[in-house]
Amino acid sequence: MYLTKEEEKMLNGDYGWAVSKALKVIVSIGESLNAEKLINISHAHISGVSYGNIGDPGRKLIKEFADSGVKFSVKTTVNPIGYDTIDYDAIPLTKIDRNYLKGQEDILMSLKKMGANLSLSCTPYYLPEVIDIKEGSSVAWGESNAVVYGNSVLGIKTNREGGPISLMAAITGKTYYYGLHIDENRIPSIRYIIRRPDDYELNEVRIGIIGEIISKAHNDERPPYLDEYISNETIIKELSASLGAAGNIAMIVIKGVTKQKIDENKLKETFTIDYKDIKTREDELMPSKTPDIIYFGCPHANKDEIEKIANQLKEFEKINSQIIITTSREQISKVSKETLSILKEKNVKLIGDTCLIVSPFGYRGLNIATNSYKAYFYLSKKGINVSLISINNLKEVLKL
Amino acid sequence: MREITGRALIKGEAEGEALVIQEISFYGDINPNNGNLVDGRNVKDKILVAYKPRGSTVGSYIIYALKENGFAPKAIIMAKSEPIIIAGCALSNIPLIDNIDINVLKDIKDGDKIIVKGNKIILLDK
Repeated sequence: MYLTKEEEKMLNGDYGWAVSKALKVIVSIGESLNAEKLINISHAHISGVSYGNIGDPGRKLIKEFADSGVKFSVKTTVNPIGYDTIDYDAIPLTKIDRNYLKGQEDILMSLKKMGANLSLSCTPYYLPEVIDIKEGSSVAWGESNAVVYGNSVLGIKTNREGGPISLMAAITGKTYYYGLHIDENRIPSIRYIIRRPDDYELNEVRIGIIGEIISKAHNDERPPYLDEYISNETIIKELSASLGAAGNIAMIVIKGVTKQKIDENKLKETFTIDYKDIKTREDELMPSKTPDIIYFGCPHANKDEIEKIANQLKEFEKINSQIIITTSREQISKVSKETLSILKEKNVKLIGDTCLIVSPFGYRGLNIATNSYKAYFYLSKKGINVSLISINNLKEVLKL
Repeated sequence: MREITGRALIKGEAEGEALVIQEISFYGDINPNNGNLVDGRNVKDKILVAYKPRGSTVGSYIIYALKENGFAPKAIIMAKSEPIIIAGCALSNIPLIDNIDINVLKDIKDGDKIIVKGNKIILLDK
């Protein structure tokens, strides 16, 4: 791999062992992928920060880097953790023990020491510092839904940088020139069309199922092309999450959304998704009884979703399910006082900083309804019975 | 003696006995606190020969923990590696070689003496 003189110096330890070690990781991976060179990134989003996930091995590694005094060389945001940093007991039916708290606090302190913005959110794309990233810039993001959203909606370029790789990229400000950083690899060759009657609305649950169908069908290095204009930002978020969870797709070109010209001649194949197949899957995953918990906010709910949920609850005197919404502190700060008071009155848990999937939440046999395919995908693996409902159908479920 | 050439992803030198495993996920398959595999074998100071990778991104951290705790293999040889394992080996300075035909790897048995040197693998017993 070609390295600039500066990169050689970094690798040789002129900037300390931490930079050298971090760059060694990036270069080794780049070489295994036959990348020709490294490129600069303008932002990093680090995943794999939950103590429940990475445990003491991860905590130790991150701490060693932080203790070396190294600083992140680009603006860096961080994924959610397993609890609310203001109210540890906010997650129903879940106990965060002392050891867990201590482990997680250590990780957060190390990240902060290196200069991270402890955004604790899986939707970095709502943060002002990310919205300001120039279209076409390369970044290194580790959260799969954000990777899809960043590439497909914001027009910034990133591969899926799992595990500690986004951390190494934040330290060095570099990544390997490969995959979606190369313009040519962003051009789709397979078109997906959705065959449906005009009155068949694509809500967030249906789009999640479409994500599952595309993930299973798509066997191409290039991103799929979705020949369907989707204007609703929340729905695109759920599609991004579903594609990132059900498969390893890191980008989807969406008609009228992804700022990229489509050369129809380059589309060599068309795959039709029939709405009946979506409906079959939706029926399979519908709740049959009152769920114990109704969960929104995977990926983190935005202000509009939170307000939409609150509005639907107004008319209910008594709610038989525990409603949970996970989101970021940044979005909570935007929610109106009126909404907050409705949520409080209806005993809705609005939980900041948290990802239920990486938290100790959940046990076999628990019944959860959610609007997120991604949450369905991962929570089912914990033995939880997960069903899917759209926010639009919340009232119906509450009347079950 | 037989010599095989692969691709050195993390360059280094090591000598030891082979420990062969078909699929490896460092997360879940190996205990970082003692080096034990789920089947009871131990990876400490072995030349780990794995056909293919599988599993979670936490794997890099486990490799690092094995090294820090003193239970790491001396080197890892694979048919095909992937970023999670490469990251773990790069962080821990564990030599890693891949791009080796799986049928060649299948000739290697537990306990075979192996030398790893850059992109070369020397099978002393073959």
